[in-house]
Amino acid sequence: MKHGKEKKTASQAFSSVVKSRLGGETITLCYQCGTCASSCPVGKITDRFNPREVIRLALLGEKDEVISGDAVWLCCSCYNCQERCPQKVEIADVMYALRNIAFKEGYIPNIYSEFASALLNDGRIVGVSKFVEKKRPDIGLPPLQPTGVDSLRKILSATGFDKLQQKKEGA
Amino acid sequence: MGEVKVGVFLSDCGKQLSEILDFEALIKYVKKVSGVVLVGKSSEFWRGKGLQIIVDAVKRGEINRVVVAESLPKLSEVNVVKAVEEAGLNPYLAEVIDLKDHCAWPHRKTPKEATEKAKAMLLSAIERAKLLEPLEKLEFPALKSTLIIGGGIAGMQAAVDLADLGFEVNLVEKAPFLGGLAARAGRFFPTDDCAICIQSPASDVKTITHTSRKCVYRSGFSEIPNLNMLTNSKVVSVEGVPGNYKVTIKKKPTYVDELKCVACDLCTTVCPVEVSDEYNAKLKTRKAIYMRIPNVHPPVYVIDESVCKFHDCAKCVEVCPTKAIKLDQKSEQTTLNVGSIIVATGFQEWDSSVIKEYHYDDYPDVITNLELARMIDGFGPTGGMIIRPSDRRPAKKIVFIQCVGSRDRRWNPYCSSICCMISLKHASLIKSAYPDKDVTICYIDIRTTGREHEDYYERAREMGIKFVKGRPSEISRDPETGKLIVDVEDELLKRLLELEADLVVLAPAMVPAEGTQELAGILGLELDGDGFFKEYNAKLRPTETKLRGIYLCGGATFPKDAPTTSLQAHSAAIKAAKFLTTGKIVKDQRTAVINEDYCGDCEFCPVTCPYGAISLVPTTEEHFVAQVNDLLCEGCGVCVGTCPLNAIELRHSRPNQMLAQMEALMSVNGTSKPLVLAICCSECGHTAVDSSGMAMMQYPANVRVMKVPCTGILQVHQFLEAFKAGAQGVMVVGCKSDGCHYEVGSAKAEKKVELARILLKEYGIEPERLEMFNMVFIEGDKFAEATQTMTKRLEKLGSLQLMGAS
Amino acid sequence: MSSYALFLGCTIPARQPNYELSARKALAKLGIELVDLANMTCCCPPPIQSIDLETSLAVAAYNICLAEEADLNLITLCSGCFESLAMANTILKDDEQLKAKINRILSQVGKEFLGNKEVKHLLQVLVDDVGLNRLKQSVSKPLSKLKVAPFYGCHALRPSELLKLDDPERPTILENLIETLGAESVEYRNKLKCCGGLLRGYSDDLALNLAREKIVNTTKAGADCIGTLCPFCFVALDIGQMQMKAKFQETYDMPVLHYSELLALALGIDPKELALQTHKIKTDKILNKIS
Repeated sequence: MKHGKEKKTASQAFSSVVKSRLGGETITLCYQCGTCASSCPVGKITDRFNPREVIRLALLGEKDEVISGDAVWLCCSCYNCQERCPQKVEIADVMYALRNIAFKEGYIPNIYSEFASALLNDGRIVGVSKFVEKKRPDIGLPPLQPTGVDSLRKILSATGFDKLQQKKEGA
Repeated sequence: MGEVKVGVFLSDCGKQLSEILDFEALIKYVKKVSGVVLVGKSSEFWRGKGLQIIVDAVKRGEINRVVVAESLPKLSEVNVVKAVEEAGLNPYLAEVIDLKDHCAWPHRKTPKEATEKAKAMLLSAIERAKLLEPLEKLEFPALKSTLIIGGGIAGMQAAVDLADLGFEVNLVEKAPFLGGLAARAGRFFPTDDCAICIQSPASDVKTITHTSRKCVYRSGFSEIPNLNMLTNSKVVSVEGVPGNYKVTIKKKPTYVDELKCVACDLCTTVCPVEVSDEYNAKLKTRKAIYMRIPNVHPPVYVIDESVCKFHDCAKCVEVCPTKAIKLDQKSEQTTLNVGSIIVATGFQEWDSSVIKEYHYDDYPDVITNLELARMIDGFGPTGGMIIRPSDRRPAKKIVFIQCVGSRDRRWNPYCSSICCMISLKHASLIKSAYPDKDVTICYIDIRTTGREHEDYYERAREMGIKFVKGRPSEISRDPETGKLIVDVEDELLKRLLELEADLVVLAPAMVPAEGTQELAGILGLELDGDGFFKEYNAKLRPTETKLRGIYLCGGATFPKDAPTTSLQAHSAAIKAAKFLTTGKIVKDQRTAVINEDYCGDCEFCPVTCPYGAISLVPTTEEHFVAQVNDLLCEGCGVCVGTCPLNAIELRHSRPNQMLAQMEALMSVNGTSKPLVLAICCSECGHTAVDSSGMAMMQYPANVRVMKVPCTGILQVHQFLEAFKAGAQGVMVVGCKSDGCHYEVGSAKAEKKVELARILLKEYGIEPERLEMFNMVFIEGDKFAEATQTMTKRLEKLGSLQLMGAS
Repeated sequence: MSSYALFLGCTIPARQPNYELSARKALAKLGIELVDLANMTCCCPPPIQSIDLETSLAVAAYNICLAEEADLNLITLCSGCFESLAMANTILKDDEQLKAKINRILSQVGKEFLGNKEVKHLLQVLVDDVGLNRLKQSVSKPLSKLKVAPFYGCHALRPSELLKLDDPERPTILENLIETLGAESVEYRNKLKCCGGLLRGYSDDLALNLAREKIVNTTKAGADCIGTLCPFCFVALDIGQMQMKAKFQETYDMPVLHYSELLALALGIDPKELALQTHKIKTDKILNKIS
């Protein structure tokens, strides 16, 4: 655990940044009761992830530690925490918001980079190979409808998704 | 009415005002106003020689209207009005204005303009005085009796106070015995002494000592001669007015004659019906005939009519040695006539089964603090042993969970304030009786704010009670051992724990008692967002409601501890007694009056009146008209502003009086700046003007202030009249809309301003010439700023020329 | 006859033809028509939500638009697709500002989200459109001796405020549906806990750890198989079991079947027509038990 140096302006800024992002709107409601930490299945098997801790760091303005770390990527998005939070903090959604910020700033785990590429290229995160597609009638499945790749690409362009894959040096 | 003869008296406040205002010019001006027969000047008129001048003039019959320009009218008016009344003039015919804080001080840099404004202010007061009417003091009879709803410690303490003062007290309690939550709680923190203890009544002859406090059963409570106790009873309906309520009470049958029963318990030995005892946390069973807990007062046995077989069995009747059992007892309905009502209905534990992951509904070893209290009680269902309800074995490991449903935005967002101390109390009692038991409290925060509470917390830690900072996420059960497992993060260690427990005690939120909503409907009381009874003002009037005659105390307004409950009980008793001691309610006649010819029976006013003072009565022609109850009317005028047919007027602030004031204020110009009429409410608005003057803030003299009781009185056409009278701009200055002293007036005024602006636009007048400002007394700077804003805006807009305007 | 636009998602056509097959056949037998619409895409589930939530919302909305244009409600077989689409549907219906923002994006592809259609999970369609009674009557081969451990996964139930499929702490829909087939629904420890699916690829260690707990607990409870309703969960528990065996050097043999497969079997559909060979953990002993 690093010593927290006082970062007056930074701490105001980061929780506001999270609050202004889709999914992060409720982060400042957190009063650190720890219900989420205790509800988390991942937290039970590793101390690399504790949702309460991640939120605390974010609220204190420790942006770098949060977005460059591996904790945010360990949330399995089961929503157990969000269900039980007494302050109605949308914890799983906050994790998404933090991931979104991390991704945008170049902290991109390989698997997610692959997902992004697959989506951009095939319109699907798991591609259907030609082989598998051909086998469908053999099993008794109707032919697969075409994927709307063009429309998807336009949407990904409109949201800026296609520009997100700038990986940070050494990340 | 006769000839109106106005006397005008100008105080120059020890010659200070005449340094700024040209008193010669003022006197000359005033003398010329029609109806003015006497003008005087002195350094003060509110007492001494000055006041004597006014009094003599009244006594001589030389004047029958009084206008005084004096310092701090809100204070000086009291003296002037009293003296004038004693001299024989109706006090409502005297008017006091402030040339100091409203004129000289804020405009000292522009003395000429100030003087012109002073002329307008005097003219306005004179024209108003000419239109004033004499009003009487209204007296209503008030019965020297009261009703207290709720026989817990709040209700009982208030009952003792009022009985000692000599009032007839009726105490209604829905259970068959007194004590409320205290009876179940056993002990109260921080002293850990008996919960069921109250101050003794003075009528207890043997205890005329100052130091007495007694357990309820020996307090002599039920023997107070002027106390009528109605247990097993509920309020069914309330009619009438403060001072004279007619209350209907329904008393349910207990099927046992309290006066004959000697509590020998023989009946229970023969009763064939056995059911689970909810009151004792289902830790034991009881019979159809039973006493809830042994040390209640009165010590009554009750028959549970839902399970009793009555005449198909009647075994209890056979064995009862005093023939106390009356299976044919019926409900009784009583009517009481009382002068005031105190609500002391208390609170209850929230239903924790809502939080499913805590399994309160399906794990018997998960209980609440109130249920634990029964276990801790030596006379309780377990004889003081702390056991697991599932198998009755001793509970060695006990885990408390705080904030169950409290501080929870899904259920009860507030902190219930007493649960930390309750759990500390229970944990301490258990640990001191059984030092080997393992006791842990899981908390989000520990709140020990009261006197000696922090010491209590320290002692708890010294006893070895463990504290885990973390809110448990789940309680599960080990299928093999049957033990409970509490999943919680110890945040301070940053470690996930799985606490093993024999017994888990929940500290649930405290919520309003059952029946609160129904009772609020019967009494016409408001509830707050959490369902508790709403007090009139939390800071200044915590035991009163906005309805005169109905008071609140104890947990009914919010969960609280015993000391605070006692405080409130004593406070409510004084409030309830206030007008009862004289046997009459004296009221001002500045009330609303409805012109039946204009009333269109639209029903807007009864709904709008915050005090329920208007009702619809049938007329002979088979239609309804609205009628104002002078006793309930608080004189705000919101009804006046609401009526679409102008059928209502408020005495002492009638439309013709207001119009006369407006026209007068606008008639004297004497300034290069555009004239602004500032209509200020008598509560926050007008006092903000006072405040700016007292601080000598400077603002321009084109602003002319007019006072109304509440901005809610204003009607849309009155804004238009102001422009017609010569105002270039109109400011409405009122309380903040959530702080209006008359509940809804300020918010209503805002709506009117909105509507008026639409109309102005239609007429080709810039809507921004009219604006509402909200402020409080200490925001005098805001008033000054607002006048500058308005003035600058109007200068930019240019002069308004209305066709046919004066 | 009820008609639904079938939303297949990615994982099912790519890896789990067995799920698609059993669902199509079972629903056909129950009189539910499935319509295949063109130009659907990935629903943008949690892996994409992790990258950009707004993109996920927009793409989900796009797919719902296709159903709106066809005037059909949507049915999903995958809980991930259900969560993504149903959440987007509910959020956008309630938030005018957000809806306007998303529609500005969708206008680039000539679409407009109206919010006039529902997104349903297979389970909901079975309960609402078929009903437990009719379902029971349609069962020709009750799975009488079979003990099924119901596994909801996460995204069918949570976030419950938005998905409203069942009570998140005490759900009963899957248990009821299992029992309607004549099988016995088995309770086991931590039934509602996540399978760890999303962590596969990022931290296989942790993912396997979580999946293993499911296998161990269902085995302890005496279940013959686990009943799933999500292809992610299926992968975690089926392929995952092979990986667990290697990593933890333990033996398990807990077949994992989608509810739709159990349903198809109970409706009398020939197991040979269900492509059960795609299961990594063989289903032979299940088939033996129910025949």
